[in-house]
Amino acid sequence: MAANVEADIAKMVAEIIEVPVEKLKPDSDFFKDLGVDSLKAIEIVAAFEKKYRVIIPEKDIPKIRTLAQILEYTKGLNIK
Amino acid sequence: MLWDKEKIKSILPHREPFLFVDEIMEVVGSEKVVAAKYVRPDEFYFKGHFPGRPIMPGVIITEALAQASIVLYYVCKPHIAEKHPDYYLGRVKAEYLAPVFPGDKLIMEVSNVKIMDKAGVVDAVARVKDKTVAKASLVFGIKIDKD
Repeated sequence: MAANVEADIAKMVAEIIEVPVEKLKPDSDFFKDLGVDSLKAIEIVAAFEKKYRVIIPEKDIPKIRTLAQILEYTKGLNIK
Repeated sequence: MLWDKEKIKSILPHREPFLFVDEIMEVVGSEKVVAAKYVRPDEFYFKGHFPGRPIMPGVIITEALAQASIVLYYVCKPHIAEKHPDYYLGRVKAEYLAPVFPGDKLIMEVSNVKIMDKAGVVDAVARVKDKTVAKASLVFGIKIDKD
């Protein structure tokens, strides 16, 4: 996955959860460390789907709790 | 008109004077709902917003869009909506682009971005005739009593 895709995803997530992108560490837990609630989590998923024209199945959403997990998930989606 | 007020009231928990969807004009699969609100001169909020110069408050436009979103949720998830869950608005990003006056027909188009059992994200546009008066992104949650 290209570095710019990683940077774009980090920027998108940071904007939604309203933290500076430099504070968004790859392994920070959205819920425990960053104060993300369930609706913001859905917003992240929806923004991701809209930007990259993919569908994340509802069952996969609880598994995605960190930026690193989003990036890992993205690897399987052939995003360029 | 696809849905009249009675059918709308069978889905929405809101009632007068806080029911802001008068009819459903169009349903496009599970993708989009087009709803209308007839903005009457005797709406309660015109008394104070503003005396002698009535303008529909932006927050009421947002509320109307949120109510139209519930109809879209029903279209997508009828088996849940029919149980009359609680809907709560979680996040709104809105732009208000033009004033809405008494006598206007507010047309609301609500599009499915992602709707799941317990939450939804929609993009919404409100217009009067061909003029866009507001745009919003809404995130809402759904809570069923027994949760």
